[in-house]
Parts: sequence; C-alpha cells; structure tokens
Amino acid sequence: MPDNNHFEPRIVAFLCNWCTYTGADLAGTSRLQYPPNVRIIRTMCSSSVDPVYVLKPLLDGADGVLIGGCHPGDCHYQTGNYKTRRRYVAMQEILRASGFDPRRVWLRWISASEGQKFADTITDMVASLKEMGPNPMQVAWAI
Amino acid sequence: MIGLFPLKDGDALTAVRSFLQTLLSNDVVDALYVPLESAEGQILPALVTDPARLESANPLAPVMLVNGARAISALTQKKAPARLGAVLRSCETRALVELVKLQQASLEDVLLIGVDCPGTYELADYQAIQKEALFALEDALQAAGRGEQLEGPDLRLACQMCTQPIPEQADIHLHIYGEGLAGGLFVEIGEELAEKLGLTPVLDYQVKKRQQVIEQVLGDKQKLREAEISALQARLGSNGSIAQMFAACLRCHNCMTACPICYCKTCLFRTAAFDHPPEHYLNAAYRKGAIRLLGDTLLFHLTRMNHMAASCVSCGMCSSACPVDIPVGLIFSTIGTQVQAAFGYTPGKDLQEPLPLVTFQANEWNEIGEVK
Ligand code: SF4
Ligand code: SF4
Ligand code: SF4
Ligand code: FES
Repeated sequence: MPDNNHFEPRIVAFLCNWCTYTGADLAGTSRLQYPPNVRIIRTMCSSSVDPVYVLKPLLDGADGVLIGGCHPGDCHYQTGNYKTRRRYVAMQEILRASGFDPRRVWLRWISASEGQKFADTITDMVASLKEMGPNPMQVAWAI
Repeated sequence: MIGLFPLKDGDALTAVRSFLQTLLSNDVVDALYVPLESAEGQILPALVTDPARLESANPLAPVMLVNGARAISALTQKKAPARLGAVLRSCETRALVELVKLQQASLEDVLLIGVDCPGTYELADYQAIQKEALFALEDALQAAGRGEQLEGPDLRLACQMCTQPIPEQADIHLHIYGEGLAGGLFVEIGEELAEKLGLTPVLDYQVKKRQQVIEQVLGDKQKLREAEISALQARLGSNGSIAQMFAACLRCHNCMTACPICYCKTCLFRTAAFDHPPEHYLNAAYRKGAIRLLGDTLLFHLTRMNHMAASCVSCGMCSSACPVDIPVGLIFSTIGTQVQAAFGYTPGKDLQEPLPLVTFQANEWNEIGEVK
C-alpha cells in the first residue's frame, strides 16, 4: 500500500471560461479554503477539451484530471457541454476497457456563482485521489 | 427481386466481369470503382470508364489492399462528379456510411454494388496462394458459397471474426452464399434496374439454402469473435497491459493511414504539437526516472480510439498495415464495440442515425457532472 498520508495528488483542471473558471475565481476572491493540489487551465468551453488533453497529463503521471463546465442548458455555446458529456461517457468506457482507473477523470458542472461548489469539488477530488494512491503512470516509462 | 446472370464457361469471375460491363455499356453508370488485376497478378482498386478494362476486373479475389470507402470518399467528397458505381465488400460499405455521416463522402449518384464477402487473406498469404498454386480461386469461391473453406492459410483475423460479411446497403447485391455459383450469378436488384440490364426474375430461388449457409458461417464467426474479444478483454483488464501490447509500436502511423474512418487531414499527430523543447524531455525523465524516446506512443493510440472507436467497423485494415504485427484491429474492435454499446450505436448500419459523439439529448446521463 502506498503511504497515502504523505501523498499529495496533482490535479490538472480544464475549466470553461464562462462558468467553472469564473466559479474558481470566485472561490479565490471569497477566500474559500481548498487544497492547493490543482493546476488550472482555462478553456473557452468544456467541449473544447479534446480527449488528448485529458490523456496527455494522465499518461505523463498526473493523478487526476478535472473537466469543469456550465450546467446542462447553460453552455455559452448552446450545446457544447451536452457533447462534452457524451465524449466523457466514451472516454470513461475507453479508460476502463484499456485497464486505467476511470475515477481519475472527473467532469463537474460548476457555475460562475458556485465558488463553494468548486472548493468542495477540489477537496473531494483530492480526498478521493489520496485514497486511490498515486497514478501508476508516474513510473511507467515505456509508453 | 433476384435475377440470374448466366455463367460463361461455368466461371463466376467471367460472369461478374460481363455483368459489370453491362452496367457501363447500358449506361447505368459512367464510371465504376472496382479492383482490377494487373499483369503481374496484383489486385489493385481502380476507377474504370472503359468497359474493355473490365476484362481484368476481379472483385472476387480474396484480398483487399485498401478499404474502398477511402477511395469513394476521394471520388465523391460532397457529390460524385458523374454517376458512379462502386463494387464494395460489407466492411467497405459500412465504413462508407460512416464517412458520409462524417461529411467526407456522398452517396448521391452512387450505385453501390455489394458482394457477399467470404473473407480476405493478408497480402503475403494471398501471394503465396497464387505463387504456390495452393488452390484455384474459383474453387475457393465455390467452396465459400457452400460455407466451406479450402485447406491453406487462415483468413485475416478480422475476416475470421467478421459477423457482417453480407452488405446491407447495396443497390445491387451479388450473392455468393447459397446455391453456389454453379447455376449462375444471383443478383439482388431493383426491378427498374433489372429491366434495364435485361435480367429476368428467378422464380425458384432457394432462399432457405442461402439462409442456412449464412447462418452457419455467421455462427462460426460469431463464436470466434466472442472468444477473441473476451480473451483480449481479460488481457486488457490488467493494469499496464495495453502499454505492453503497443510496446513494439514504431509510431509509423500506418494503422491510422489504413483506417477508413481516420480522415483528418490535420491530425494532431502529424503536426509538431508533441515536439517539445529539449528541457521538457529532460524534466519528464527527472520526474519518471526514465522516459521512452520518442514517446507519446500510447497517447497516439488512445487518442485515436477516443476520436473514432464509435465508428470502427472492424475491417482490420489497421492490423494488416502494422509492420510489427500488433493486433491493432482486435484492440480497436473490442474497445470500439464497448463504446458503441454504451450509445446503442451500430456503425455502418443506418445513414439516418446520427453519430453518437455529434448528437446528444438534453435528458441523458443526468448523474454525470453532479456530486454523487
Ligand atoms: S472484415 Fe468482413 S467484410 Fe471485411 S473483408 Fe473481412 S470478411 Fe469481408
Ligand atoms: S480502427 Fe482498424 S478495424 Fe476499426 S475501422 Fe479503422 S482500420 Fe478498421
Ligand atoms: S501500424 Fe503498428 S507500428 Fe505503426 S503506428 Fe500503428 S500500431 Fe504502431
Ligand atoms: S461555455 Fe461553459 S461548458 Fe460550454
């Protein structure tokens, strides 16, 4: 068993500009506490996060990847997040089928006003990844 | 209706050739996509406008250099420039249907001539059969019609486990399974076209016989498919095993080039997107202790899978193109089948059914994205 108490998971988060990124910003300006384990990348819409951007950090050894978007119905490009959702379903199938733990990839709908939800999401995700232990890809070199 | 085209000299190939000639000479189509046999005995897909060239047509040779869907995509794009006939196998028509949905091909003004597919050999095996005269192709075809296979090399794995060898989309459908080809070439065809070609309906067509042969062939293939897929699933289930399976990958991208579904002209993996400054590789090596160079091999395969597995038609062209014998097709078919099942989608079946990653419903997977 890995020593999960001293293990600090690294999360890469792709957050849509209009909702989740603004929500994360709100969490910051409201001085909400959440673990510092996340590196945030801003995208215009959750649907612009091609699977390659999720797979690259996972295979390079990041412990988790978060995709954040507007709630269904609220996407600023109308239907982007509905497609994100389907792409996520496919990705989960593929990760599972090819022997990866699909629980390392999260999709969350978090609006611009849900700073608390963003902070809670990161807190939960860190806890869950600590339980899972480090991503085995951290030592896989022959890929 | 079912029409009968008489065999000349009891030879199926000659009959098919003259049947195709009638399509050109009766002005049903202006050009025909069909494999021709070169003087050296190579079977090369071609676009034919001169009926005389069809003397060397050979759509029955059990070998497939490329999946013809790619060629029809190049030939039609948004719309065929002339009335085009295309002689295709089932996995080619299915891939074509996917390409039409991906807006990379059009079926407008295209007459699909489907042929029952008894399966194809790897090119090297096909050449060995020819060179060593292991059996006559005509005999192999007659045997295939009865649901049998002659002693010799195995078919390509994709064909051994192909559960859809009967083309479903065809406007004209040449039967191989069933009565065999002794009595002539049975052609499933619309009445108007039949009249144009002077085909009369066969009244005593042995539908039962055909169904029996197909059932038996499909049953065997289905069994093998299930066995191959569950063996692979068991292997893939253990952590890191997919990395091992692709460990010998040369990153040649042949699998992608041969795949009829992968059409992107600007594929990310053909750009400099993953060329990093030197320090980047060193940092990655510090992080992991060692990294493979060049890397991103698994990234390529998993990304490709995310992009196209929903449309994978299990044609196995990727495996045939792989120089290091990685069972790419089996891996993609297996995982592809799982992705397709998640969306209840069957690639190549229905032009009207939208691609699963392009469409959506507002009310579905509502639990995703919410806190559990
Ligand atoms: S995969 Fe099926 S349709 Fe395609 S060549 Fe093989 S047997 Fe024929
Ligand atoms: S991934 Fe392989 S089996 Fe699937 S459609 Fe492409 S070439 Fe055919
Ligand atoms: S064809 Fe084979 S070696 Fe070439 S990229 Fe594909 S899997 Fe790798
Ligand atoms: S703009 Fe936020 S998900 Fe599309």
